[in-house]
Amino acid sequence: MSTPSRDAIVRLSGVQKIYKLGKVEVPALKGIDLEINAGDFAVIAGPSGSGKTTLLNLIGCVDVATTGTVMVDGHDTGTLSESALTRLRLEHLGFIFQSFNLVAVLDAFDNVEFPLLLQGKLNKAERRERVEDIMASVGLTDYMHHRPNELSGGQRQRVAVARALVTKPRIVMADEPTANLDSQTGHQIIDLMKKLNQEEGTTFIFSTHDPKVMSQADRSIELIDGLVASSEVADDGRLDTPQTALV
Amino acid sequence: MTGTLIRIALRNLLAHKVKTTVVGGILILGTIMLLLGVSALTSMDRAMSQSLTASISGHLQVSMADAKDKFVLFPSLIDGTEIGEVSDFPKVRKALESLPQVEAVIPQGFDYGMVFGGNLMDVKLAKLRKTHDDIAKPGGQGAYIATRDHVRRIVELLSEDLKNLEAITDEKSRGQETVQGINDVRHAAQPEFWRDFDAQFDARLNFLENKVAVMAIGEDFLFIRYMGTDTARFRKHFHRFEMLEGKPTPPGKRGIMLNHFAYEEFFKHKTARRLDKMKERIEEGYTIADDDQLQDWQRKNVKQYKEIIWQLDAPSAAKVRAVLIEAVGDQKAPDLGSATPHPTSATQAEAAAKAKPAVADKVPQTQEQKVRAEMVRLVSTFFDMNDTSFSDRYALFYKEIAPRIRLYRAKIGDVLTVRGEGAGGYAKSTNMKIYGVFQFRGLEKSILAGAVNIIDMMSFRDLYGFMTADKVKELAEMQKAVGVKDIARDEAEDAFFGGGDDEPSTNDEAGTDDALLGEAAGDAVDPANAATAAVAGAGKTGDAGFDEFADVDMKQGAQRWSDSLLNRVYTEKEIDTGVVRNAAIILAPGADEDDTKAAIEQRVKADKLGVQVLNWRKASGMLGDFVSVIYIVLLVAILGVFGVALFIINNSMVLATIERTREIGTLRAIGMQRRHVLWMFIVESLVLGIVFGVVGSLVGGAIVQWVGSVGIPSGGNTTVIFLFGGPRLFPTLAAWHVGIAMVMVALVTTASTVYPALLATRVTPLEAMQEAEG
Repeated sequence: MSTPSRDAIVRLSGVQKIYKLGKVEVPALKGIDLEINAGDFAVIAGPSGSGKTTLLNLIGCVDVATTGTVMVDGHDTGTLSESALTRLRLEHLGFIFQSFNLVAVLDAFDNVEFPLLLQGKLNKAERRERVEDIMASVGLTDYMHHRPNELSGGQRQRVAVARALVTKPRIVMADEPTANLDSQTGHQIIDLMKKLNQEEGTTFIFSTHDPKVMSQADRSIELIDGLVASSEVADDGRLDTPQTALV
Repeated sequence: MTGTLIRIALRNLLAHKVKTTVVGGILILGTIMLLLGVSALTSMDRAMSQSLTASISGHLQVSMADAKDKFVLFPSLIDGTEIGEVSDFPKVRKALESLPQVEAVIPQGFDYGMVFGGNLMDVKLAKLRKTHDDIAKPGGQGAYIATRDHVRRIVELLSEDLKNLEAITDEKSRGQETVQGINDVRHAAQPEFWRDFDAQFDARLNFLENKVAVMAIGEDFLFIRYMGTDTARFRKHFHRFEMLEGKPTPPGKRGIMLNHFAYEEFFKHKTARRLDKMKERIEEGYTIADDDQLQDWQRKNVKQYKEIIWQLDAPSAAKVRAVLIEAVGDQKAPDLGSATPHPTSATQAEAAAKAKPAVADKVPQTQEQKVRAEMVRLVSTFFDMNDTSFSDRYALFYKEIAPRIRLYRAKIGDVLTVRGEGAGGYAKSTNMKIYGVFQFRGLEKSILAGAVNIIDMMSFRDLYGFMTADKVKELAEMQKAVGVKDIARDEAEDAFFGGGDDEPSTNDEAGTDDALLGEAAGDAVDPANAATAAVAGAGKTGDAGFDEFADVDMKQGAQRWSDSLLNRVYTEKEIDTGVVRNAAIILAPGADEDDTKAAIEQRVKADKLGVQVLNWRKASGMLGDFVSVIYIVLLVAILGVFGVALFIINNSMVLATIERTREIGTLRAIGMQRRHVLWMFIVESLVLGIVFGVVGSLVGGAIVQWVGSVGIPSGGNTTVIFLFGGPRLFPTLAAWHVGIAMVMVALVTTASTVYPALLATRVTPLEAMQEAEG
């Protein structure tokens, strides 16, 4: 368990999440205290059903805790309205999904541009510049006008990464971003994320089963049965490759 | 943002081809239906409006405000007709015509009347009298004998006809008068009656006129519908009026103009009319072999051979016989017995069968009867036409037979005796010269508008039963002439035929004895001859009143009185003053109907005119309603189609929402607000509506254009013809039709998206995340 830190961008204390399935209450998280610092490249690991996704959802502001507080970039998500949470996601967070979740009928450019449209802050030229920049940094300049079904899995996920980063969010959430990719492509994606993490200082929080991915993290949180089993910070910014597979 | 949403919408349409095709097809269909329906109805409304307002109703109608019933142009059986009388028409006219929006206020009055006269027997008896008087002239002897023999033939045929009547009715059901009448006819058919006919001419003719002619009442009277109006001003302001034959009633004169439709339908020889109708129907593609209606007319023509035979005098009969022998040769006569349509009981059928030999198969006793029996066979065989022989025989009929019979029971130039129903108090007859035959353009075949004949205002008032100045004077003249001091009200109408005349007759032929003897169905437009038809006809009405004056030489007096009226020219003031039941208002060009109505109502109120104003639609009663009913039916049909569209679009959008849960969840996760999700769906439905609304409008517009160029056929149905304002309706497309269609489609698609869109807003961002579990 980590101690409170001043530059913690995510702070959870006493967080419980209980799902109700009919009359049965299923506790997914049983009391989590956790801090993630700005600029962390954090991995949440743990076996299936350990509460990884639930934890990511709470941090990603797509769900709220049953008890306890979740502070994201200074906002207590428990006190925010649905609309404010959505706003928070739009302004401060980026999302990368396991199956990329691109809008199938829009091309890569439009998909990446979409969050900017939702924000409504930039004019067309500015949006274009921003999109082109981010597409260049994920290496898809030549594929901007391809639709998702015209791209490979890795290319799609790179589009998704671009979409998550185009708004310059403080935090990017990624739920098993490499699960649907072959390992080589997966590593390229992780490398890309790592690069952006280092260049932009964006906080990355992702869940994974992949030991090689975990080795890239500078912060590792292991969940078992709804509780934090271990929370390590690599001294050299790098975690040792775990000896025990967590899968 | 909306731009991207539209892009998403368009691409989603392309992505889901089957769904798009189904939904789009329904929307296109609905749009086409809407366009066709609305444009057809608008055109129908306009056609009807134009043909009605410019032919009969005017744009607005005024009638008495406090009347029991509202004015209805074409009253149905349940419509009351007590619409009152406009109390001071000149004042109303002056007040309303002072409004700039009003072009003219035309006095009117609609009513039904009975037409007498034109009975074949009467006409032939009048001719018999004339030929008898002219017997000394060159060729007079022959003309007299031919006419006499023709009358005899008619009496004999009548007698045989009455035998049939006796055969199919029992004695008790026949009244005393009928029994006496049958005996009189039988008496006149005896050879003894004719043996000394020439010697006993006056007595015999009298007997025929007074006792026998009444029994030939079959085709004696008919109902006509008429509109009394200021004929000159009517013609000026009602542009659909057009003369076909003859000339219009001269300004200020008494007279009737017959509607071509009514003239053909009611005045034409029935067999000829049926042949005309058959021809029309055959031209529409029906065949005698298959069509019940054609077979029915056919049967009637065969059965009603008398309609032809009666009318033929000996020379004509001989000629027709020769023609028919050549045409039908020795073909077997059709079975007249089996042609009896639908006998109401077995007894009747039996009786009819028994009666049949009396006509067709009777063993001829004399040469004359033999010839007559052959004629019956020839004529009925001739009219037993089939699809092959029809056109030849139709032509032959008009070439050889029609010129030898009276094709119309009254001709232009004849004087018609019309008896009004007497809505104003008591029934009244009046004589009117037939000036011509007209039609309302666009309503040529309409049974409703086509039934309206036009008479002058003065005659209308006579028939309506109000005492006009003329009538008061007429009564006084009659009383003076016949020495009767008091004439009971119910006798007054019959007393019409008495009296002298102080006014000089302007007609140089009228008032002479010759005029009395003219044949009603004379060849030329000859008022003198024509007047006789009226007299003969009036004689037919003879009830108690007639006999009372039997000894007075009334006919001459009546003739002169009649002529003086018929030749009198009334001033516009006279026409306007007196009973006016309602008045048609013609708007100045460009004036708005509703605005003008309001302005008139204001004026009516200010001047205390006491009249009410109806627009033509209201005034046309059932018909105006009819268009509204069609509107409602169309609306229901369109709502049905759009209801289905709504259901299908709704369902497919719900499915789409479910399919797109992940996508929506993703968009929600990356920061899309619920209202944006809602907007996204609405944009999609609008795009759907606009795309297919436009396609539907283009296709529908093209169809309307095409239909508008070829026209929608009325199918010959007279009511439809009326509604179409002609035999075909030519719908035209207006911008607002497309507007309505687009709005409708947009509404439907949006309405059908509400539920799925609300479902979509409930999708949480979690849906995007639940990868591992799902």
